[in-house]
Amino acid sequence: MNHNNVSAAVAIDTGDLPFGGGMLALVRPALDLLQPGGVLAVLTRQASAPDDFSTWCKVEHHELIESDAQPGGLRLLLRKGGLGHARGTLEDGLNLAPVDGRLDAAAMLAQVPFPAHADPGTGFAPRGAMVEPGGPVYAFRINDLDHAAPPDVAELYDQAVAAQWNGERDIAWDKLKPLPRALQRAVGQIFTFLAENELSALYVPSRFIARLHPHYVEVGQFLSTQLMDEARHIDVFLKRARVGGGGVGISHATTSASLHSLLMLEDFTEAAFLLSVLGEGTFLDLLRYIEEHAPDEVTADIVRRARNDETRHVHFGMSHVKHALKHDPTMYARLEAAVRKRSATLAGVGGVPYAVQDSLTILAAGGTNPEAVSRGHNKFRELMDVMHTNRVKRLLNAGFTPTQAQTLSDLHTPNFM
Amino acid sequence: MPDNTILLGAVAYDAKVVPIWEGIRTHFQKQGVPMDFCLFSNYERQVESLLAGHIDIAWNTPLAHVRVRKRTGGKSISLGMRDSDRDFKSRVIVRKDAGIRTLADLKGKTLAVGSRDSTQARILPLHFLKQQGIDASSVKLMAFDTDVGKHGDTGTSELDVLKALHDGPAHAGTVGDLIWVMEQAAGRVDTRKLEVLWTTPGFDHCMFDALPSLDASKVEAFKRGLFAMKWENPEHRRILELEGLKQWMPPREEGYASLTAALDEQQGW
Repeated sequence: MNHNNVSAAVAIDTGDLPFGGGMLALVRPALDLLQPGGVLAVLTRQASAPDDFSTWCKVEHHELIESDAQPGGLRLLLRKGGLGHARGTLEDGLNLAPVDGRLDAAAMLAQVPFPAHADPGTGFAPRGAMVEPGGPVYAFRINDLDHAAPPDVAELYDQAVAAQWNGERDIAWDKLKPLPRALQRAVGQIFTFLAENELSALYVPSRFIARLHPHYVEVGQFLSTQLMDEARHIDVFLKRARVGGGGVGISHATTSASLHSLLMLEDFTEAAFLLSVLGEGTFLDLLRYIEEHAPDEVTADIVRRARNDETRHVHFGMSHVKHALKHDPTMYARLEAAVRKRSATLAGVGGVPYAVQDSLTILAAGGTNPEAVSRGHNKFRELMDVMHTNRVKRLLNAGFTPTQAQTLSDLHTPNFM
Repeated sequence: MPDNTILLGAVAYDAKVVPIWEGIRTHFQKQGVPMDFCLFSNYERQVESLLAGHIDIAWNTPLAHVRVRKRTGGKSISLGMRDSDRDFKSRVIVRKDAGIRTLADLKGKTLAVGSRDSTQARILPLHFLKQQGIDASSVKLMAFDTDVGKHGDTGTSELDVLKALHDGPAHAGTVGDLIWVMEQAAGRVDTRKLEVLWTTPGFDHCMFDALPSLDASKVEAFKRGLFAMKWENPEHRRILELEGLKQWMPPREEGYASLTAALDEQQGW
């Protein structure tokens, strides 16, 4: 047959390599450079190559167009088939270079940006990879950029990685002194409450990592730092509750109901809003209050460190919610509905759980002297106002109207988180 | 239950056989062709069931196909085959250190062969070698009778042959070219140790068989359904890929002449 009109787009010389002894390691990557229908010329000195390629091409659905003797061996012409052709093109020519010896995630995201939509059929293939068809469709549910990834997520991940600290070594545990009994109990109760809330902050985001399309992996990476933060907080909070002769206190049904309602959330953006913007946002004020009234520097250091971490979580939550609101104005109504629904499920629960309220009062009082307790009680009341004011600010910042912001803040759980 | 459902038999040599035939059944139903299948554990029982009229059509290996041809006096109806069933070949593989340069050098050597019911790994290679003057009695035959009843579909005995070649004591061995090429493509052949000595002439592989008494409307309906499967259709393609073909082809008988002669010669009927 005359194939003079066939010209190869790629040509390779495989020398003496046997078919199964290295020749394919040159042939297959060369075929990857071609689109279906493209022709590859293979020069070989293996006499059995035409037989081997004849069968192999049949199985792989390429076409062996011809094989003819040439000076220096046989020349085979293969036409690439469409079967198994990986979608996309091979990544090439990225301008990814370290700056001052550092290579951060934000730089990589800038080179390989998020897609607007992601296909669950690409499974765990990293963003940018060519994907061979025929893989299973994964049950990822967060497949749209608008609901997955705020634009600054890679920066937040880089910051989070740089800001990790060690709950074993970085806290001056040996400087902790026993406190008067009532104050010791108050500290134990407060850190019990903090740990319980942080457990929910560990569980809630973890539910969404497995639903997130891997093409938005920076979100998963950020959330994993959040999980690590919460794990560390739980660790140090329980240590603080127990060290120096104290112990963990009471877990209230109000707290449990409030956190349970967070765990039931099925929507990533609603969860980011309720947990990070409203819950962890309110927690920032609580942690600042504890730091301000801490009985010692070690306790202050613990909550200061935790607050730094939580600030990132709030930042991510705000960024996520603002990003989603910007692209989907119906989100306002949805988020408001989510707050109202949660409020309804919590209807009937009282105010701040009493043991938490009393402990925060005793903490601010620095003891049980009635005059001091009176001051402590006022401080606690001021905390409620500060929390409300700052929640409203965050809601306004997110783009809610002043009326919506007031309403949503009022409807927020008395459990803080 | 007298109805117009075509009942097809296939041998369950691998777990993928179930999704293949579930998929083909769905396709046939969409074509308005009622079809169902039953699975056998071996080709002997499938052939007997076809001959007894328990099933309408059997998806047969070449060995099962020529047996049906013989038992029906050549009157059985061949309905179709895969593109990949045409021009199958077998290879004689040798160890490079065995000192075998020509087929004549095989005499006195240990020749590993596949299952006694494997067309490509035993029956036809021995037949073609005899034609080349190498009688089975002139070599030390090392037989791997694994998965007997499956007619070589599982490929297990061919892998046994390759293992015996890699590790010894076999000097030479016979396998189908599909296994040989795909094992190489998977990087599982040590080409420092093994090489191809000889490739056999081509022969054909599987076939859909029916008795001559099969209702003509079922014959037509089956062909209509079968040949309506298209590579370009993603649903069809998934099934075709599993079954290892790109296109269903009309039957042809000349590709089985060598097998028929081999069975006569080897008293393998």
